[in-house]
Amino acid sequence: MKKFNILIIIVCFLILFIFLNKLVAPKYQTDLIEGHMISEYYKEEKNHEVIFIGDCEVYANFSPMILYQDYGITSYVRGTSQQLIWQSYGILKETLKYEIPKVVVLNVNSLRYSEPVSEAYNHLTLDKMKWSKEKLDIIEASMLEEESIFDYLFPIVRYHSRFSKLTKEDINNMFTDNNVTYNGYLMNKNIKGVTSLPTKKKLASYTFKDNVISYLDKIRTLCESNNIKLVLIKAPSVYPYWYDEYNNQIIEYANNYNLDYYNLLEKANDIGIDYSHDTYDGGLHLNLYGAEKLSTYFGDILANNYNLTDFRLDNDISTIYNQKLYVYNKDKGDE
Amino acid sequence: MNMVLLILSIILIATFGLSNLIYILISATTTYLAARAKKHKKLFFIGTIILNVSILVFFKFITYNNFFNLIDSKNILVPLGISYYTFQVLSYLIDVYKGKIKPVTNFKDYLLFVFYFPYLIIGPINRYSDLSKTLYKKKKLEKDNILNGLIRITWGLFKKYVIAARIGLIVTTITSNLNYQGAYVLFALLLYSFELYADFSGGIDIVLGFSKMLGIILPENFDRPYLSRNLKEFWRKWHISLSSWFRDYIYIPLGGSKCSNLRKKINVIITFIVSGLWHGINYFFWGLFHGIIVSLENKPSDNYKTLKIILNFILVSLLWIFFIYPNSITSFKMLITIFYKFNYLELFTNILNLGLNIPNFIVLIITLIILVISDIKNDKLKNILYNNKDEIKLIFICSMILIVLLFGVYGLGFNTNDFIYSKF
Repeated sequence: MKKFNILIIIVCFLILFIFLNKLVAPKYQTDLIEGHMISEYYKEEKNHEVIFIGDCEVYANFSPMILYQDYGITSYVRGTSQQLIWQSYGILKETLKYEIPKVVVLNVNSLRYSEPVSEAYNHLTLDKMKWSKEKLDIIEASMLEEESIFDYLFPIVRYHSRFSKLTKEDINNMFTDNNVTYNGYLMNKNIKGVTSLPTKKKLASYTFKDNVISYLDKIRTLCESNNIKLVLIKAPSVYPYWYDEYNNQIIEYANNYNLDYYNLLEKANDIGIDYSHDTYDGGLHLNLYGAEKLSTYFGDILANNYNLTDFRLDNDISTIYNQKLYVYNKDKGDE
Repeated sequence: MNMVLLILSIILIATFGLSNLIYILISATTTYLAARAKKHKKLFFIGTIILNVSILVFFKFITYNNFFNLIDSKNILVPLGISYYTFQVLSYLIDVYKGKIKPVTNFKDYLLFVFYFPYLIIGPINRYSDLSKTLYKKKKLEKDNILNGLIRITWGLFKKYVIAARIGLIVTTITSNLNYQGAYVLFALLLYSFELYADFSGGIDIVLGFSKMLGIILPENFDRPYLSRNLKEFWRKWHISLSSWFRDYIYIPLGGSKCSNLRKKINVIITFIVSGLWHGINYFFWGLFHGIIVSLENKPSDNYKTLKIILNFILVSLLWIFFIYPNSITSFKMLITIFYKFNYLELFTNILNLGLNIPNFIVLIITLIILVISDIKNDKLKNILYNNKDEIKLIFICSMILIVLLFGVYGLGFNTNDFIYSKF
């Protein structure tokens, strides 16, 4: 067997292998678009003074375009569906390899979860994340018992059954893709007001688990070591999932480590949120109208307390952001 | 190399639970010592056979099948490969006792014969006289063996994950709902014939291919069984190592064919009943029916060969009924529906609700055609593949890997890693 022939066969095999992996992997362009969010950050100019990390309560509720429009704040939401605290830590570590923001805003909702919850959510967070040590660490911490590392290493292992459901999108977006967010904000213009709410469940324990707090500690020390101000928030939602006991623990933690904590749940009236209009799913998440109100409210807090730059006065950055704003406003007007 | 192979096998067996190691060690040690006994040979011989058969019966009937409902069997794990290694050590001991082979003097060598990991999952059942020819040879990795072994392994993976696992989705849908009757049952049975064959022979291909890579030749377990003209011929080509074991150690000791015609028929039926019971109590009637039909058959002629092959395939398929339903009564009930419930149109209109969509059906049909052609043209294809340039072999291996990865039914949400026959 000639070595050259072997080489050719192996190279062809690898090319086909890569091609098939690309082909069957979900493109997250029109379906489950939440899976695309993590990757859009890599294409961004890394000039953000504020980075949001957390679950759907950040990517659905905070609009960086409004923060820029109203206060000149440059920000990015690195939120993903049901982002768990160890995932937040990994994503923050990855972010800091690209840029050092002045402020990191962490939504504390994910502290409720001490164990991996859903394989599907894991993939929405991880599939489009660039390969790095942080990604491997997140995979290791997030995998459910029935999962395998190969599901993440090679999309064909996890998604081969999609061969029978391939669409034009799978062909067209194999090597290119379009943004689905505006600096990480996932716009939703639907209106579905609150009609009924789930009952508040009694829990066996209201104490955050040690592993969860250990990741919060890691995030805090990571911010400290990079001279970043860590700000804790709880985003508004009418669903009764954030208990007073949780809130008290965060207040105590923030006091212990001299952190700012804003429980925006309690500020819905001040923000002006109308839960009959400003939510797209009956009160769990805010729609565009609620998100813009919240962003204006929180932008005021950020602008007045954290010595942020008004980039509307910066020629280079304002050019970029004005273009982004144009697209954002255009898409807003499509309703 | 042999020592490495032995240690690896021990480690792999232990990973399934230390108790596996203890039971297989008991079998290996007792048969090794009994075969070497100088005095009271018969006593040791019978005692060791009773001990090993008792352990097998205990685990297969009292725990796995919970024959007598005596104990809570949920927490008792049947030792890995107990059927295969028990049959293997018994054949060794009987052959030594009868003077067909000499006892092994080196315990380490004997352990390798019993512990050699690949066969424990799914067989084949090896005879010492055959396996020892290559098992103890000085091993070195040779390019030809590796490539030919990989061809066999990837072909086995293709049969297991692309064909058998895909069919399994339909068969499970039909058999898990007893409202699927008549045409559905027949459809499930015909497909199950392919599923079982692809699953079992695919597993054997993997075992034989892995062994081939190490230069170890294990016996073939299948020889195009569905191309048989009657059941007698089928049993010479299906699960050959088990069939020949029952022939040599049950049928012949009963008198075999060297007795009256009636006694010969009874011997055949008894052998098949034992074979059925070895599979489990629910397989009694499966063994009985096979036994009765085989005992009544004559040597097949070549007249109407294709028709005979088709009819025999249908017969074999119908008798698999005992493999797809949980007990004999249900099996009979569902079998009968085939003959009075003519809902073929309903099956046709509902076919896409049975677990496979159109692209998957297309893959299934194409791969079944490949499977059938590979059996019909077996020798020619083997010749083309195994005697071709290394580059062609490598292309085949790479292609099969990609095909299995893309079209295989595996991974999260699919429980397809177990082989059907590993439960026996």
